[in-house]
Amino acid sequence: MSLDLSVFNRFAITKRAGEIIFCEFEPGDAFYLIQSGKVKIVKIVGDLEKTLDILNPGEFFGEMALLEEAPRSATIIALTDVKLLEFNRANFEVLMAGQPQIVLNLLKLFAKRIYDQKRRFMVLTLDDIQARVADVFLMLDENGPRPTDPTDNSRTFPNSVEDIAHWAGLSVAKASEVLKQFVNQRRVEIQQGKIIVKNIMDFNRFVKSKRQE
Amino acid sequence: MPKATQYKTNSVIYFQGDVGDKIFILKAGKVLSKSNDIETKEEINELVAPGEFFGVKSALGRYPRDESAIVLADSEVLVFSVPEFEQLVLANTRIIMKMLKVFSNQLRRMHGKVQNLIGKGTSKDPEAGLFSIGEYYFTNRQYKAAVHALTRYLTLYPGGRYAVEASDLARKAGQGVAKVDSTALFAAAGAVDDEPDFSPPTPAAAPAPTPQAGPADPLAAKGFFEAVALANQEKYLDAYKIFQKIVATNADPEHSAKSEFEMGRCLVFLGKFDEATKHLTALIQKYPRHPDLKDALYFIGRSYQGKNDFTWARNFYTKILNLAAEDEPVAVKTRKALKELEGAKV
Repeated sequence: MSLDLSVFNRFAITKRAGEIIFCEFEPGDAFYLIQSGKVKIVKIVGDLEKTLDILNPGEFFGEMALLEEAPRSATIIALTDVKLLEFNRANFEVLMAGQPQIVLNLLKLFAKRIYDQKRRFMVLTLDDIQARVADVFLMLDENGPRPTDPTDNSRTFPNSVEDIAHWAGLSVAKASEVLKQFVNQRRVEIQQGKIIVKNIMDFNRFVKSKRQE
Repeated sequence: MPKATQYKTNSVIYFQGDVGDKIFILKAGKVLSKSNDIETKEEINELVAPGEFFGVKSALGRYPRDESAIVLADSEVLVFSVPEFEQLVLANTRIIMKMLKVFSNQLRRMHGKVQNLIGKGTSKDPEAGLFSIGEYYFTNRQYKAAVHALTRYLTLYPGGRYAVEASDLARKAGQGVAKVDSTALFAAAGAVDDEPDFSPPTPAAAPAPTPQAGPADPLAAKGFFEAVALANQEKYLDAYKIFQKIVATNADPEHSAKSEFEMGRCLVFLGKFDEATKHLTALIQKYPRHPDLKDALYFIGRSYQGKNDFTWARNFYTKILNLAAEDEPVAVKTRKALKELEGAKV
């Protein structure tokens, strides 16, 4: 990061690779900014530890703690040795005074989170479950990298059926049933570790028509 | 520089769904923000107050506008690019704080709505949830993670529903950690740079009790369990420092007494036998009915043994066997230690 954060050294903590920074369900009273290293966000679903995301230097996590001391919604584990800055509501003012740019970044992050939650809400409120699954792909496409060839309408997603079920708010059985229908209609192909949508525009039209109903 | 722009009555500054990178402040006139409730689709009409920003969230994230901004009466609007906006608020951090509050409110509401739809939040209470995480990592032999989760559990819910199971698992997980990479952990403990004060705490040196001192200070309990976990991971030096702090603060008599004992135990493992003997002897004089009395005697014995003073070691071990029941863990340990002494003599 280009910002000089040395004044915040008293808020710095280090964790070794593999160490937990906080656990899901713990009450949250601090948020973190990664200075060096990587962390992963995991959740235990059933009897599997699922990695939801990997965060890099300059990124925040635990920022919901600024809003309310609600239980943490996921577990954060150091992927490498990491150096973090730890802020709570009390020393947040210090951060604001000393490094408003970070707080501005936080504001942008909140804007993104609000949008993400709204987008998710829109997926989940589709009654037609085929449309809901199709909309999950649209949502993932919006967040994914732009295609190199803008005329190419096929999209490859590095996701599993479980991921799709999770985002669609469906059981895995139900989601794979829907995906099977799409496969039979030759709109989708499922391969090891990835799902290919043949024509994302087709899904776009399909979801739009269902949303207008 | 932001541009002052005039808008005529009935013109539209932007439409819902547009993607734009401009941020606006209403200087004079009348602007209506028109949106639809995400749930009910009901139309929401709000007047923009003079001096108020609009279009911030969508411009910052380059997302489609949530609302349409419609001019109801001839208006003057200041138009900012995102960098201009950033420059302005960085110089007036009060604005950032205010917006952060607005955004965080919106985020909380949206988050709640999504959680409602997927039926989360009701399935597991945090206490059971946290314990189940510790259990998961224990079962999957990720002992460090298990120790962390279980220690957090015990800190937060010292008398909780799963406290007994949790402390049992935490202990086993601690042993698991020690087995898996005791050398690495020991090196980590040895790498601590500031040398702690090993002299026994004198009452005079102890600071006055803190005002919030009570019979069960949660901070003391928290520190205590954290330190026990560290000791389980053979990080005796780190553990010692925390125990020392608990004793010095003396916020909670129960944990202070326990911590005093634990300090002695750590000293033994650190090979500081003289300090350990002194510390534990003082402890026994101070608390003749200490719950860990027999263990304290055992560790005094260990210290003498460590100094190759086998006579005194045997004296202490024998005393324990007189005090303890046959099957008490401390008696089992003591008999084992006595056997070691026999071996040493041969």
